[in-house]
Amino acid sequence: MTLTIPHQQRLPLAIAALGFLFLGLFLLYPLFNVFGASVLDGDGEKFTFANYVKILGRPFYRGAVANTLMIGVAATITTIVISVPFAFALARLPVPGKAAIVALAAMPLVLPSFVSAYAIVLLLGRAGVVTQWLNSWGIGFGSIYGAGGIVLVYTLTLYPYVLLPTMAGFKAVDVSIEEAAQSLGSSPRRTLWTVTLPIVVPSILAGGLLVFIETLENFGVPFVLAEDMPIFAVEAFKLFVGETAPNPSSAGVLGVLLILMTSLVLLIQRRFLANRRFATGARSAPPILKVGPGLRIAATVYCWSVVLLALVPFFAIVVLSFMEFRGPVLHPNFSTANFTALFERSTRPLLNTLMFATLAAIGVTLIGVPIAYVVTRLRSGLAAVLDVIATLPFAVAGTVLAIGFVVSFNSGWLILTGGPFIMVLAYTVRKIPFAVRSSSGILHQIDPSLEEASISLGRSPLQTFARILVPLMLGGIMSGFVLTWVTIASELSATVVLYSGQWRTLTVVMFQALEGGGGGIATAAASTLIVVTLVPIALLYRLIRRYELAA
Amino acid sequence: MTGIVIEGVTRTFGTVRAVDGVNLTVGEGEFFTLLGPSGCGKTTLLRMIAGFCELDEGQIRFGTKRIDTLPAHTRDIGMVFQNYAVFPNLTVAGNVAYGLKARKVTAAEVARRVEEALSLVQLGGYGERWPHQLSGGQLQRVAIARALVIRPQVLLFDEPLSNLDARLRVSMRAEIRELQKSLGITAIYVTHDQEEAMSVSDRIALMQSGRLEQVGAPAEIYRQPASRFAAEFMGTTNLLEPKALGLSGAGRVSLRPEALRLDAEAPAGWPRLSGTVAHVEILGPITRFDVRLADGSVIRVASLDEPHRTLATGAQVTLAYDPARVTVLA
Ligand SMILES: Nc1ncnc2c1ncn2[C@@H]1O[C@H](COP(=O)(O)OP(=O)(O)OP(=O)(O)O)[C@@H](O)[C@H]1O
Ligand SMILES: [Mg+2]
Repeated sequence: MTLTIPHQQRLPLAIAALGFLFLGLFLLYPLFNVFGASVLDGDGEKFTFANYVKILGRPFYRGAVANTLMIGVAATITTIVISVPFAFALARLPVPGKAAIVALAAMPLVLPSFVSAYAIVLLLGRAGVVTQWLNSWGIGFGSIYGAGGIVLVYTLTLYPYVLLPTMAGFKAVDVSIEEAAQSLGSSPRRTLWTVTLPIVVPSILAGGLLVFIETLENFGVPFVLAEDMPIFAVEAFKLFVGETAPNPSSAGVLGVLLILMTSLVLLIQRRFLANRRFATGARSAPPILKVGPGLRIAATVYCWSVVLLALVPFFAIVVLSFMEFRGPVLHPNFSTANFTALFERSTRPLLNTLMFATLAAIGVTLIGVPIAYVVTRLRSGLAAVLDVIATLPFAVAGTVLAIGFVVSFNSGWLILTGGPFIMVLAYTVRKIPFAVRSSSGILHQIDPSLEEASISLGRSPLQTFARILVPLMLGGIMSGFVLTWVTIASELSATVVLYSGQWRTLTVVMFQALEGGGGGIATAAASTLIVVTLVPIALLYRLIRRYELAA
Repeated sequence: MTGIVIEGVTRTFGTVRAVDGVNLTVGEGEFFTLLGPSGCGKTTLLRMIAGFCELDEGQIRFGTKRIDTLPAHTRDIGMVFQNYAVFPNLTVAGNVAYGLKARKVTAAEVARRVEEALSLVQLGGYGERWPHQLSGGQLQRVAIARALVIRPQVLLFDEPLSNLDARLRVSMRAEIRELQKSLGITAIYVTHDQEEAMSVSDRIALMQSGRLEQVGAPAEIYRQPASRFAAEFMGTTNLLEPKALGLSGAGRVSLRPEALRLDAEAPAGWPRLSGTVAHVEILGPITRFDVRLADGSVIRVASLDEPHRTLATGAQVTLAYDPARVTVLA
């Protein structure tokens, strides 16, 4: 026995080695340093849990844990309560305009959630347009600052995470299962509760856990809405860049705790949901139910209301950005002054946003697609490990990863802070899990014998990858590229930790304008961001449509 | 065009010995078939030759050249897959040209050879079609043209017909055999269908649990099976204790149903057996019937249809068998 590497495994192994190198350097090493900062004493020499004791001993931070979890649970419950009937209506009830509803319902996933939060402040905040209008009629309502407002924004922006898989779940229930239940004497209503819903529960929970993780990691929404309420990701940020005394060890403690929480949720999902998928092998999709006009109208109104309500804040921001602001105060006159103010100072933020998103999306594609290839094609424990590591960024809040980047690349042999690359690298690492997930989804559907056919015809594994796999994956890679691009363009949580000097992005401009009370510039930056997000998505839609028509 | 030598080849997956010490020599231009039940290791052995599966032990040579250490894409093999594996992103012509382009053949030569290969598999003029516009049989022809056009040293087929319907299978297997013979390329063909194996092969290797059970010409394995497994896998047979036929010895003997006839239709010199008819099936060209002998054992008989013969369940019959066609099994 010799220890030579089999020929057909050389390419995947080479890619795996590069993948481990990249993720090791730009994911594990920074995370290790966050951990290191959290367990070292003030001089950075002795191992100690004192930082943990100190942080967790303070009611303020215990409150942050409690608030974050409570808000996460509440938002998960509200998204599920809203989305399950919605999904059922889309899958099984006669609702007009379903295709449009589904397309619109997916929008909040790509639009920046903190923009929605900011719009809520402009509409319903203390000096909000709606608030003032209602006050003039003598009507008042509770404050939208704090937990209530945060949960509201999370619900409006995250519900598609539950809606889309649940709808797919309802559609995947084989009719014959429901028919079997009814032929056994179960009424349609009882069948829904005892047969259909239980089959869909894993999809609902999977979506719900995604929502929960998103709420734990989110920085922008609580930053806009929490005010005095301590929230984890925000406090980690404040501790790290704190104006008075930056405190990496305390920030590290919060970072580690946050990673522990999200990883725990992910583990729960893997352990309990992976095996809980009820494959019903749906051959015939369930029929649209016949219902009375009352229920039909109710379902239609409900679906359209949720979809439109979730988009109202974005629409409002665009409208408001064309109005006159004096400081944070709004005057109902049409004006393009906000945009002039935004771009007069510099067009750099816009250009930076476009450039960073493009570079990082290219990076994500170039790294994520080959990793997906290894994960799906290499039968080895190594592939499983790579898969886990490539999924890890999903459990790491942008703030925490960025803190790790600063701690790791601020000095020493590789100095990246203060430049643009550290931002591009952070974005790349953050979005790799999405590229790996979507590409391996496509690769699972490509028969490996196509690759073997190409190799046996004389093309090396590398040529086969480029000539057969890449063309076959192209549609998926392109959609993935656009979605990655769009989400990077509105990335906030890592950006605010990593930006410096001239490398501000649109999100940073918004963030600074919010801090400084410059409502006009903030709305202009937000609208620009919305346009920057929607244009590529619209182009992608058209491209896909044309592609489908041609095929 | 080369012979293939397989020496002491072994491969284990976990505890499964997928291929277990196989020795084989395939002659130049021979149509050689690996036949056996599901999971016996046929595909694994074929994929070792193609270079998609590592050997634990042993070696494989094309002529005198050892190839099991070469990367798959340098082995110069044409392979035809069970699911066609036609590239969906290329036209029919693009698929067939794929291996030629890898070999840096000039454009004019590529065009000429693609057209030639397509007409060889009766797909002349289909070059500009897309794979999704073709039927299963046409896709398999594209796959065959694609494998032939590179003029490989060796052609490998892994159950190429199993996704086609029964009629097409029969006509395609004749075509494959004819093509292989006219081009003279050494071929190894994998199937679990013994009729298909017998119709196309020069020689067959019958496999079971990773080992070679018997190697020989189709008629030889059918008529002189070396083991009970070989006798049963190659077709319906009667496995009897020797004393049921009035013979001595231990073990079992195999007697094919067509070696038995009714008393009136058999030559005088054949030994006789008598019993009652237990079951009759008239299948058209042949009639199958079961006869229960005095000792209770049931013997299966097959004979060509005879218009004047009447056979009813429960009737007393006398059978005769050809003593030359009794095979004693080890
Ligand atoms: N990559 C693999 N990993 C683990 N076990 C394998 C692998 N490939 C084959 N085996 C096992 O090796 C044995 C032989 O498999 P092989 O595919 O060669 O059988 P086969 O004769 O081609 O069967 P079939 O007629 O069903 O195609 C089987 O028990 C199979 O489960
Ligand atoms: Mg097989």
